[in-house]
Amino acid sequence: MTHRKGKEGAFLFLAPALLILAGITLYPLLHVFRLSLHRRLLIFDISRFVGPENYLYLLGDTRFRNALGNTIYFTVLSVLLELLFGLAIALLLNRHFRGKGLMRTIILIPWAIPTVVSARMWEWLYNPDFGLLNHLLGFRINWLGSPFLALNAAVAMDVWKTTPFVALLLTAGLQTIPRDLYGAARIDGAGPWTLFRKITLPLLMPVILVVLLFRTLDAFRVFDAVYVLTGGGPANSTETLSIYAYKILFQTLQFGYGSAISVMVFLCVGLFTLLFIPLLRRRKV
Amino acid sequence: MKGKGLFTSGLFLFFCLLSLPVPGCTGKSAPPDEGVTLVFKHGKIAGDPLPFRQVLQRFEAQNPGIRIQDESLPSSTDEQHQFYVINLEGGTTGFDVFAMDVIWVPEFIRAGWLLDLSRLLSKSEREEFFPGPMKAVTFRDRIYAVPWYIDAGVLYYRKDLLAKYKFSPPATWPELVRIARTVARKEPGLYGYLWQGKQYEGLICDVLEVLWSNGGNVLKDGRVVINSPENIEALTFMRGLITQEGVTPDFVTTATEEPTRHLFGGGRALFMRNWPYAWNLFQREGSKVKGKVGVAPLPAFPGHASASTLGGWQLGINRFSRHPEAAARFIRYMTSPETQKLLSLTIGYKPTRKALYKDPELVASQPFTAALY
Amino acid sequence: MKRLVFAALLMLVSLYCLGPFLWQGLTSLKTAADLTRLPPLLPHPPTLEHYRSIFAGHPLLRIIANSFIVATASTVLALSIGSLAAFALAKLPVPGKGAVLLLVLSTSMFPPIATVSPLYLLIRAAGLRDSPVSLILTYTSFTLPLTLWVLTHFFRNIPDELYRAARIDGCTPWQSFTRIMLPLAAPGIFATAILVFIFSWNEFLFALTFTSTTASRTIPVGIALFPGLHEIPWGEIAAASVVVTLPLLFLVFFFQRRIIEGLTAGAVKG
Repeated sequence: MTHRKGKEGAFLFLAPALLILAGITLYPLLHVFRLSLHRRLLIFDISRFVGPENYLYLLGDTRFRNALGNTIYFTVLSVLLELLFGLAIALLLNRHFRGKGLMRTIILIPWAIPTVVSARMWEWLYNPDFGLLNHLLGFRINWLGSPFLALNAAVAMDVWKTTPFVALLLTAGLQTIPRDLYGAARIDGAGPWTLFRKITLPLLMPVILVVLLFRTLDAFRVFDAVYVLTGGGPANSTETLSIYAYKILFQTLQFGYGSAISVMVFLCVGLFTLLFIPLLRRRKV
Repeated sequence: MKGKGLFTSGLFLFFCLLSLPVPGCTGKSAPPDEGVTLVFKHGKIAGDPLPFRQVLQRFEAQNPGIRIQDESLPSSTDEQHQFYVINLEGGTTGFDVFAMDVIWVPEFIRAGWLLDLSRLLSKSEREEFFPGPMKAVTFRDRIYAVPWYIDAGVLYYRKDLLAKYKFSPPATWPELVRIARTVARKEPGLYGYLWQGKQYEGLICDVLEVLWSNGGNVLKDGRVVINSPENIEALTFMRGLITQEGVTPDFVTTATEEPTRHLFGGGRALFMRNWPYAWNLFQREGSKVKGKVGVAPLPAFPGHASASTLGGWQLGINRFSRHPEAAARFIRYMTSPETQKLLSLTIGYKPTRKALYKDPELVASQPFTAALY
Repeated sequence: MKRLVFAALLMLVSLYCLGPFLWQGLTSLKTAADLTRLPPLLPHPPTLEHYRSIFAGHPLLRIIANSFIVATASTVLALSIGSLAAFALAKLPVPGKGAVLLLVLSTSMFPPIATVSPLYLLIRAAGLRDSPVSLILTYTSFTLPLTLWVLTHFFRNIPDELYRAARIDGCTPWQSFTRIMLPLAAPGIFATAILVFIFSWNEFLFALTFTSTTASRTIPVGIALFPGLHEIPWGEIAAASVVVTLPLLFLVFFFQRRIIEGLTAGAVKG
């Protein structure tokens, strides 16, 4: 009886969230799936069902493979660095000192600037002629001009921009670790490194994993930051899957194929999530 | 189980949404007897918005009963294109008249998003326009948009520096290289020739111009001839500007119009390929190169003709517009010789009607228009 | 010594986060001719021209107000809906919790550029085009997964005994949610609120697609509409980004002091 009541109550708590998600995001998702099974070229007045044809074509598409490689590189490197920096900042701020509120506001600045503006700002900073970066370094590097540097420059920008996201959530996570745990361990003679390894890290791990999951999902779908910075160039060396999908969808109006690329993005992050969930489960205990 | 419940509730909400009235689409246009409001969409305009508003007000004064609601989009053509595609694909009635980049027109015609405007322009009047844009708006002898203003790649040069070293503007690419090397040697910190090399449509324009100026092309008789000897020669030259001749700094491969315009405008370069918009900015009060800039057609390879990507903007009517008649009248007005001249004098939009390039008043105020014709 | 190292590290972090923004601030004070010249590093002489011009020609205040409304509403909606659901997932008997969480997450696995077209169709069918409501609904649904996941974690972290004790004392699930769970999860709620708010404040793609007049235009689109055909008015953009970022930071700073410190102080002790 009480159990039943609890269940119904639970559903009431859940309902608004499910309704909003179903109403707003379900239709677009189904639409993209459906389109990806079509050959839809408006300019040739073609629109017909072709089944998995688009996906088969993807297999042999070297540009797709290139974009996938770029995306994975971008995601792995930027998420790792963000996690590292974010954790360091969160640990640094997890103590009492004067001006803490100000400090926590300052670390939010990169996240607070609109992406479109900050990407342009970095384009300006990277400019070899009048950019601040080379001026401070004292020598000239064509940051966005070489394929290798350009992708890493995009990573650097993203790390700067999104570290606050990580730092903020980890700071919140640290706040919920009871202080007395540390006190007890200190009495037992544990040093700072042991404290970190035995208490902070395990208790923070669930938040870290959630952050890692969301950052990976976002980084894998990165679009406007990199698109404004480099346009995918030079020579497609910074073209991510989202940029490729964008070009196919909106520059060449191949809605079917562009949707198929988008579904691949979905499948990639979906696969990642499925592999990742057991980690979350294990930590929950 | 869970998934199914979710799906049905989603569908339910979706249909609720669908069954709602659609005020967003109809709310803006008043009933016909009370007059018509046309929504005019275009990329944000260059320079001072006031003269542009006056041009629209003049139309409203001449056509009582029609009001123009002027809505602009960001300057990035990518963003505009994406906006139009999403909206037109969705059959929007949210705008009536809109401005299209020259390359979108054939695409939009084929997608069936534009009204046939053939009756607006007689066969003979079509001849009064530049043939390039006119060809772009024509499909199977019918016309689907009217050329509004043109944009073309031109060569900016430093008049004062060329005079100092007794050169005249280069007509060929080798000449440009020679002049740039000579002058740059004597003027430390001066770049020779700037162009746009970032991976975006600007680079496509720049490349096409160099290919064409060597007699090359991308398509020939319906076949792809991108790897023809002329093209290879032209592209090798273009790359050599950076790697061999050293007249172009390596960072042009990350540059769009603006960084090059800023550098040239700061007196840091001898030559620059850019669009006409830069001219007015160079002549502004406080500009470092005011009065020191000249404009010429882009150079060509010896024995070939200069070529320029003829960009520009055309006005068309959204096929789903509720006011095609009023919209057509508005397009007539915006592309008339008078309006084109006015826009050219005030905000530097270059006319699409050939005759205007002989208009003395216009030539006097925008001396370089001759370089376009 | 230890304090010195700590101070140095703080300096380093603030320099890293603040540096580009300060540079943006300096840029906004430079004359047009100096925008693409280095040296000089400092504006010489400084000019307020760009600030004058962003307020003169544009309804900037209106746009900031729009962004504020949209971001506030999205945050309130996402947080209230999200915390309800998160509470249920963390503490109530819900069958297939994992599946629900996964399902929710799957909505944020598509590239936004692919879903913008169909979503536009929905918004138009609902008659919400060019209305702040379209953006509020979109941002709420986009930020729900994050809200839900983060808050589920934070609720889960609160010992079950506390919740059970509250129920035994006669609290309904609702009462124990508002009186016990919410205050205890305050750090997580606050952090998520900031993230959601700023996301909604800064989103560009959907704002561009769904809005067409100043009635609903938000800041990123407003900035993109500063005049100039190919011209990117860099000085103005720099000035505008300073003008729109400062109130945001002030807001965060203010909330930080008022809410988070008060709440956590009480909660952690209890």
